[in-house]
Amino acid sequence: MTDHEHSHTHAPGEEHTHSHDHGPHSPIDPPTDPASQALIDQDFVPVALAVSPDGHNALCAEHKLEKCDSCNVDFINTNRLARLLASNPSLLCPPPNNVVSQQLSQMVQRTKDEGNALFKQGQAVPALARYTQAASYAVQRPPWEANQVMREEVTTVVSNRSAAYFDLGDYISALADAETVISLRRSWPKGHFRKAKALLGMHKTKEAAESVRLGLSFEPQNNELLTFLHDIEKVHEKLEEKKQQKLEGAVPVTASA
Amino acid sequence: MASILVPVAYLIIVFGSLFVFSYYYRKHTSTRVYEPYFPSHPERNAYITLLQQTDPPASDSLLKSALVRRAMADVQRVLRIREDKPALQALLQKGSIGDELWNSLLAAEKELEVEIMEVISEANSFVDGWGQVIFPTANEMIANEKMRAVFEHTAEAKADLEIKYEYKAKHGALPAPPTNAAKTNGLLSPSTPGPNSQPTSDAEGPGTPKSAKSKRRK
Repeated sequence: MTDHEHSHTHAPGEEHTHSHDHGPHSPIDPPTDPASQALIDQDFVPVALAVSPDGHNALCAEHKLEKCDSCNVDFINTNRLARLLASNPSLLCPPPNNVVSQQLSQMVQRTKDEGNALFKQGQAVPALARYTQAASYAVQRPPWEANQVMREEVTTVVSNRSAAYFDLGDYISALADAETVISLRRSWPKGHFRKAKALLGMHKTKEAAESVRLGLSFEPQNNELLTFLHDIEKVHEKLEEKKQQKLEGAVPVTASA
Repeated sequence: MASILVPVAYLIIVFGSLFVFSYYYRKHTSTRVYEPYFPSHPERNAYITLLQQTDPPASDSLLKSALVRRAMADVQRVLRIREDKPALQALLQKGSIGDELWNSLLAAEKELEVEIMEVISEANSFVDGWGQVIFPTANEMIANEKMRAVFEHTAEAKADLEIKYEYKAKHGALPAPPTNAAKTNGLLSPSTPGPNSQPTSDAEGPGTPKSAKSKRRK
């Protein structure tokens, strides 16, 4: 097939020629219903935007910002994808999702392993730095790839980071990371385990037990969770005893006063 | 006596008027415009506006990106309509809502089909065969963006959690609170015992831990 201009008619009454090379026509060219097409065209409201000089970024017309609340536009993601496509000229369009960039996976894996090694040696703080770096790599994955890969990578790294925070005694950060893991991958028992550990660190035995039970509902035979539930119950009993002792200890003081 | 003409004329008048009425009625209903179900389509508007830009013209990668975002918005609409349809149908059968909303939904559904066809043909105009791939790509991108948002929200969630668990600790009758507050209030400072320090530590709560943690990260 020879090259030809391909014109898009889009705004009511306006012609716009968008020319580029064309191979053979795609076999499926669905017939468009002119009445509905007219409805779509009627619905069109031009957006006040401007294009950056290099042509790759869309900005709001007034303030030349990517994300502008007063103009009610948010082009951050659009521009990010555009820049990604522009920087890889061999990539004509976002490819189908089965193409996974191995290099990124390797980087994430390597950094995570470094973090694991440091963690095992007991150096939780540098391990933390490694984990954060691995997480930032994992999040840089091109968005058109199968999301399962990114999900697994990010959750494993963040779960390890939660363990590092726990070892440092920073239970709130550990809890925040565990919550992230759970919201990304609910059926993974490890996420619930991390959350329970963090809660137990803060002596919140009831919530910890709930968390473990939720994790067990996804994998009833998980030994780690079962033993941990046992530990929680023991800690709970100890705390109750301490409470009782404090109460009993307090009574004679107030009675004499 | 009456000729055969009278009953024939009668029949012609009756059926003729029925046909005329149905013709005008059908024309009337087909052109009736329903309330739009979705308020507007900002991504579509952005895409078309970008197509029209001439000074400077939007690059191909920007146009492709805008098209993908349009596809993503369409996917979200499809999901929304799929959710709303049975619910609306149930309400309609019960009689809680009128026909208007249902007709709006159906019209929106049809418009969405046309819109999807249009996106596919636009995608094919950029790269052959892209039309088949663009919607799965859009699905993946939506999932990806959700994951990124959750991940980036972790840092903000920390402040909320601090407030939540500190408050909880303070309101509880457990003697644990001082140690809890100390642990979350920046591990660089020693534990602050005593009820006097609690009000001040509460105010500093969201502040100091963040700085302490960022120091550790760096």
